[in-house]
Amino acid sequence: MCATLTDTARDRERQDETTLRERIAANPEPAIAWSLVAVALIGLEFGAFIAGLLLVVDSAVIAVTALIEVTVGLVSPSASESIVGIQQAASGTLDGFRSTANSLPTLLSRETIPNQGYKTGPNGPWENTFLGLEPAVAWAIRAALVYAYAAFVSFWAFRGWKIFRANYRQSDWTPRDDVIDRLDGHRWAQFGIIVVLIFTTMALFAPALGPTTVEQNIQSPYSHELQYFDAEDGEVRTALVGDANFNSKSKGNGEQNVGPMTYDDFGRFHPFGTLTNGRDLFTFAVMGARISLTVSALSMAIAGLIAIVMSLASAYYKGIVDLAAILSADGITSIPQLLLLLMVAMAFQGHWLSDVFNGGFLLALVFGFTGWPGLWRAVRGPALQVSEEEWIDAARSFGQRPSVTMRKHMLPYVLPYLLIYGSMAVGGIIIALSALSFIGSGLGINPPTPAWGRAISMGREYVSTQSWHIALIPGVLIVVLVTGLNAFGDGIRDAIDPESEGGAEEEAAAGGTAG
Amino acid sequence: MSEMTQQRGRADPAVVGETLVEVKGLKKYYGGQGVLADPPVKAVDGVDFTIQRGETLGLVGESGCGKTTLGRTLVQLETATEGSVEFDGTDITELTGKQLKQWRRNAQIVFQDPESSLNDRMTIGEIVREPLDVHEVGSPRDRRDKVKDLLASVGLQPEHYYRYPHQFSGGQRQRIGIARALALEPEFVVLDEPVSALDTSVQAKILNLLEDLQEEYDLTYLFIAHDLAAVRHICDRVAVMYLGKIMEIGLTEELYTDPANPYTHSLLSAIPEPDPTVEKERITLPGTPPSPRDPPEGCQFTTRCPAKIRPETHEQLDAETWNAIERFREVIRERSRIDLSIRNRIRRRVGRFSKYDDIDETVADLFDGTGVSEEVMAHVEQAADHVKDGYPNRAREYMGEEFDSVCDTTRPDLYTVSPTNRLSYCHRHTDEYESVDSVLGRQSDGE
Ligand code: SF4
Repeated sequence: MCATLTDTARDRERQDETTLRERIAANPEPAIAWSLVAVALIGLEFGAFIAGLLLVVDSAVIAVTALIEVTVGLVSPSASESIVGIQQAASGTLDGFRSTANSLPTLLSRETIPNQGYKTGPNGPWENTFLGLEPAVAWAIRAALVYAYAAFVSFWAFRGWKIFRANYRQSDWTPRDDVIDRLDGHRWAQFGIIVVLIFTTMALFAPALGPTTVEQNIQSPYSHELQYFDAEDGEVRTALVGDANFNSKSKGNGEQNVGPMTYDDFGRFHPFGTLTNGRDLFTFAVMGARISLTVSALSMAIAGLIAIVMSLASAYYKGIVDLAAILSADGITSIPQLLLLLMVAMAFQGHWLSDVFNGGFLLALVFGFTGWPGLWRAVRGPALQVSEEEWIDAARSFGQRPSVTMRKHMLPYVLPYLLIYGSMAVGGIIIALSALSFIGSGLGINPPTPAWGRAISMGREYVSTQSWHIALIPGVLIVVLVTGLNAFGDGIRDAIDPESEGGAEEEAAAGGTAG
Repeated sequence: MSEMTQQRGRADPAVVGETLVEVKGLKKYYGGQGVLADPPVKAVDGVDFTIQRGETLGLVGESGCGKTTLGRTLVQLETATEGSVEFDGTDITELTGKQLKQWRRNAQIVFQDPESSLNDRMTIGEIVREPLDVHEVGSPRDRRDKVKDLLASVGLQPEHYYRYPHQFSGGQRQRIGIARALALEPEFVVLDEPVSALDTSVQAKILNLLEDLQEEYDLTYLFIAHDLAAVRHICDRVAVMYLGKIMEIGLTEELYTDPANPYTHSLLSAIPEPDPTVEKERITLPGTPPSPRDPPEGCQFTTRCPAKIRPETHEQLDAETWNAIERFREVIRERSRIDLSIRNRIRRRVGRFSKYDDIDETVADLFDGTGVSEEVMAHVEQAADHVKDGYPNRAREYMGEEFDSVCDTTRPDLYTVSPTNRLSYCHRHTDEYESVDSVLGRQSDGE
């Protein structure tokens, strides 16, 4: 074909040269069909979507200003104060936008499908709940819808990639396709992906999932009221949420227990039962998921970033740079983490930084900056290995900049390993976080903000009683999540493992006949 | 593309004898810095040669002789330890930063292993285009067109642009590597064993392609190969390398038909004769090359040379005995490079060292039943005793004093051995000693 290639054929070939937009314009149907559904999906949750984006921006603003503030504060306290001022102003504005966004109606909100209400008579209909259904059913509908929505969004995103691959990508095959294909038949990896998706959904939709809200039930129960049907008096009464909590405690003995999937005396439904102080465990647990996942993801991002930069630089430059990386990693590892956490907790006591994410931000910083050597050790080997490849020399021989060489020619090979070890190490951080909250006393997430470890700590005494659910359910959540993360890591490893690759000859044959 | 070539003022290839690359006293050592470090690896140990514009110079040697390092130093993938590489009159070992990057356009390299030389997360188009992107040649559209031209000129098809290296065979991948090396229109290309990883059926095709491309783009090649057979047809001149040194360099045909250096002789004798009826004297080299950390003081080839000059006192020894002596010295040499543990040092002090007692077995293996003269045997025993006492260095010196010749003590010069300016690195080219041909001829007659 090459030999018979005429000039016109080659010209035509050149005209095939198109941008993605042109390719979509040439064959718009699949893209349009896909986008319509995607837009509809976003539209259903538009307010929450924007609010979520703003939350991320807000966190980024806080994180960046916090770092600047702490650094500048070492030199001039007054300058650092003005930075705090800027930060508060920016964060305040963002908060304003966020509440506007939050007030936009969305499908999956508590307002659309309310589950909090009261009976008007002993068997009488429910007031204020969705379609007058009983709270358990209303809540179940909302929770099911949330998960259905999340599942469909994930499916649609994957489908979008498939449509792109089938219709708009110029390469008919890429090495990534094989990775995806290998995940296709990998049950263990799929289990991991599903677990990760379930927990991510839990964290993202925490406010909509809980039968009540953290603000009402946990943060300031004495500023909120509820109405309930008092069976003794036979009439509807009003009570403070705090008082209701006080009378719904799970303390193991006799009367004092509200177990999973039951109502308390105030007509409130508790899917996971109540805590020792009468608060709703489900609300507590999903909010705990949000905190745990945010903090551990943030620590992993910090640790991963440092690890990857260090490993690429030390593999590319070797020698003295590698030595410096080894020394600093060893130095960091030699600091006892618990001691450092105690010191940091002491040093920042009362500092506003310790309030960001209810103390989670500080924890993430400590975990991130002490956790990178572990990841670095895991990816240093692959980085060194890829640095020996001749394509690195080739890049040097035509004068490619080192930073580009590292990004284009090394990073793609090291990143999967970071993902593997990162997803496994994240489990460790989740456990460590829970352990800190379990210990309490100034460590971990500041109470009363939910944290899995604290629930376990509360329920510890009652494990063998009828209030077993307090410690057991959060414990099971941790186990499932950590197992899922490990499965996810295992799955990626198997998917990128060159050993399991087959049919190299066929691929070569498919490449054409020249040569 | 030919237009661009002319714009850059490329000389007419017909003009021969114009020097493009001039290498002077080039050395490349690895490691060895610092007080406690081991002695450096002398990968390239002082070489001088020139490459003419438009020619193909072959660089041949066993693996580990430093040929790849030399090639890599010429394209500045390694920094020379000493000496200079002049490219069109500029010493490129001095270039840094922008100037170096600019110069890199002139010299490119094709790697040996097509599996490792292409980043398989990038499409062929991206791979071949990368040098153009780095040097911002033309508009993005120009670059894409140019890549398609390049793919066509190395025998691939434009639609391969969006494929990944995984989808290609070794030969095709090597073509891609060649296209990438040519993207910047270099004048000089180092071919580092470009076909040795390929199937024999594909090798010839790639060699033909390289020759066609040389003609099309006026390229100057340094063709690295591990044996002489591979380079005969493609190279104008050949340089033979051993242990970091060029042993002989000259016109290919001449070097093949009338080798001057003993090492070239032995390399040529190793090429299998296609016609089995032709009687051919084979020189099998005994032993292994010495470590490049500790090369001989005199001629690099001295430990294995079939034509080695002997000291006058031992002129009469038969070849077998002489060979046994050389091998024995090789063993001692290896031993002298081993560092002893503290414990063994103490034992050596108090005379209770026994780690090296196995040297007796070596002596027995080498000398038993060879009818060695008593005189030689006495020297050997004396040296073995030094080794057993834990002082292989003393044994090395002792054997040196007794058996060293000019080959062991003095580096030879490069002598001109033909009217075409062929050079050979051997003491035997002076009138003082019997010529290489006559020594080797006598040996094969004697059998
Ligand atoms: S100098 Fe001596 S050892 Fe070296 S090649 Fe010539 S004869 Fe052999």
